[in-house]
Amino acid sequence: MTGSRRWGIAALALTGLVLSGAWAAGARAVQDDLRALLPAGDDAKGWVKDGDPQEFAGEDLYAYIDGGAEIYQEYGFRRIVVQDYENAAGKSVSLEIFEMETPAAAFGMFTFKRSGRGKNVAIGAGAELEDYYLNFWKGRFLVTLTGFDDTAGTIEGLLAVAGPVDARIAGTSEPPDIVAALPEQGLKPGSVKYFKGLLGLNNVYSLQTARGLAFTEAVKGDYGDDTALIVMDYGSAGARASAWNKLRGFLEGSDRFVRSGSEQGVPPLFRDAKNRYLAFAAAGPRLLLGISPDPAASLALVGPSR
Amino acid sequence: MSRTIGRRDFIKTGAGAGLTLVMGKALMAAAPGAAAKAKAPLVGVGVGEDYGQAAVKAVELAGGIKKFVRKGAKVALLPNVQSRHPGSFTKPEILRAVIRLCKKAGAADVDCLSWQTVKQWEDTGLKAVIESEGASLRIFEKDEGLFKPVPIPAGVALKEARILAALYEHDVFINMPITKDHAGNKFTGTMKNLMGLNSPANNRTFHRPNWKTDPNDITHLDQSIVDLNKAVKPALNIVDATEFIVTNGPFGPGQLFRPQRVVAGTDRVAIDAYCASLWALRPADIFQIKLGGEQGLGEIDPNRVLLKEENI
Repeated sequence: MTGSRRWGIAALALTGLVLSGAWAAGARAVQDDLRALLPAGDDAKGWVKDGDPQEFAGEDLYAYIDGGAEIYQEYGFRRIVVQDYENAAGKSVSLEIFEMETPAAAFGMFTFKRSGRGKNVAIGAGAELEDYYLNFWKGRFLVTLTGFDDTAGTIEGLLAVAGPVDARIAGTSEPPDIVAALPEQGLKPGSVKYFKGLLGLNNVYSLQTARGLAFTEAVKGDYGDDTALIVMDYGSAGARASAWNKLRGFLEGSDRFVRSGSEQGVPPLFRDAKNRYLAFAAAGPRLLLGISPDPAASLALVGPSR
Repeated sequence: MSRTIGRRDFIKTGAGAGLTLVMGKALMAAAPGAAAKAKAPLVGVGVGEDYGQAAVKAVELAGGIKKFVRKGAKVALLPNVQSRHPGSFTKPEILRAVIRLCKKAGAADVDCLSWQTVKQWEDTGLKAVIESEGASLRIFEKDEGLFKPVPIPAGVALKEARILAALYEHDVFINMPITKDHAGNKFTGTMKNLMGLNSPANNRTFHRPNWKTDPNDITHLDQSIVDLNKAVKPALNIVDATEFIVTNGPFGPGQLFRPQRVVAGTDRVAIDAYCASLWALRPADIFQIKLGGEQGLGEIDPNRVLLKEENI
């Protein structure tokens, strides 16, 4: 695929059109029926429904995303509606509207799915346009639109279909509070990922079969190449202390992590198989994990200034 | 012509036989560590923008199609049709090339087997290729009666697989995954693809109740995949590593990575280790690859693999 810069600019320009479109003032749909969120008629400016929608709920998600439903279930999934759209030129766009259990779950899946390379667009509570697809979240909803190439016409379609969906979802949402635990200074845009369980965490940093990772929620932000801060919340200081004991025991007994420099009162420091340093610190119910190829940087991530 | 392969016919891998479908007993008999004692496994890699030609080159480097497909053989193919999102399914041009190779080798029948939906085959463009190349698409209902129980005595997590019975009507099985990201266990390749032959109900047992919170339950998925691979051994694996998603797998949409490679060979662990390293994953960090190596399915050490890469 080529021409990503060209359509990227076009896409951003179109965003303004999307938000100022007549449909943006349209009636908010009652969300008891997910199909009510689907653009219909002329809503999507030249893009019309192609075929019938598909709907899946709960465990039936496996029937739609066989082998890939687990991560949605981990965050908390309710149901999905899928509808294809096409334009007169024969281009296609696939629309997936996931209703998650909570806004935090929708935000979490949104952050999980973004690569960090996407362009922010003003849709929903947060949206990112990647090479050939667009994700946004709003309320309990995660919306994914996929084109099948990255031409300008397809990108226009993504935005044309996304706009009416955004307009039909009532209200807005803020990210979970724990996201604020990531210091803004040095935080790479688009790098924040919010987790509800091990599958999500393992996809950004695998602690292998470590125990002590039964956090209630966690968040990760990048502060440089291969340098990240992960904040895990256990609900109480006692639960965090217990979890840390288990995690430290695993790390100290593992042949994949080497204890490195616990002296001089600095936080526990380990080195992984890729020569990255892991520094840990406690903060009330939260456990902070700094990761960096530079031990000083990993310590700084969890240091007092944080 | 078609015939049903009986259990006594499974082992036909003797020197000169040229028939390399190995199921059940043959692999079960493989002792742990057997791979380390064998000669270095060969992995062929075709590199280039023409993905069909890259597939042809990979197979040539892996020994040539006639090493795997004899004249008159009935060939079963298993491409990945999990999703229609770019970089999440086996490329049609690779399937086209493989069908042509099989026919050129004199295959009597070339069938794609699946319990996925016809729509998935249509949406990925693979159905059109199958029809235009004169191969067959055989879709099966998710009816447990259509799956053959295959005991796995050496299974650690999985003691019995339930494999599409139609597979055993074939002489040769060629596994054709696309390598890509997987949210459940980070990586998918040759070994994970075999879940496309196992019954959906059996596949669900790969996920234990506490897989969200218990690291051992997460590992259970990878161990189950490894065990499944003890029940079925493809004669040949041809992996699409041309353009694939490295985020949001296995379904996508996700960030595309384009190494423009097709990888072929018989050693699933070696191939998966090679594919994982393409996008900077450490094979030893991927449980299914690590466990597969430890349990005799193949070679994880790149220094013990004969790698042949050629541009087209």
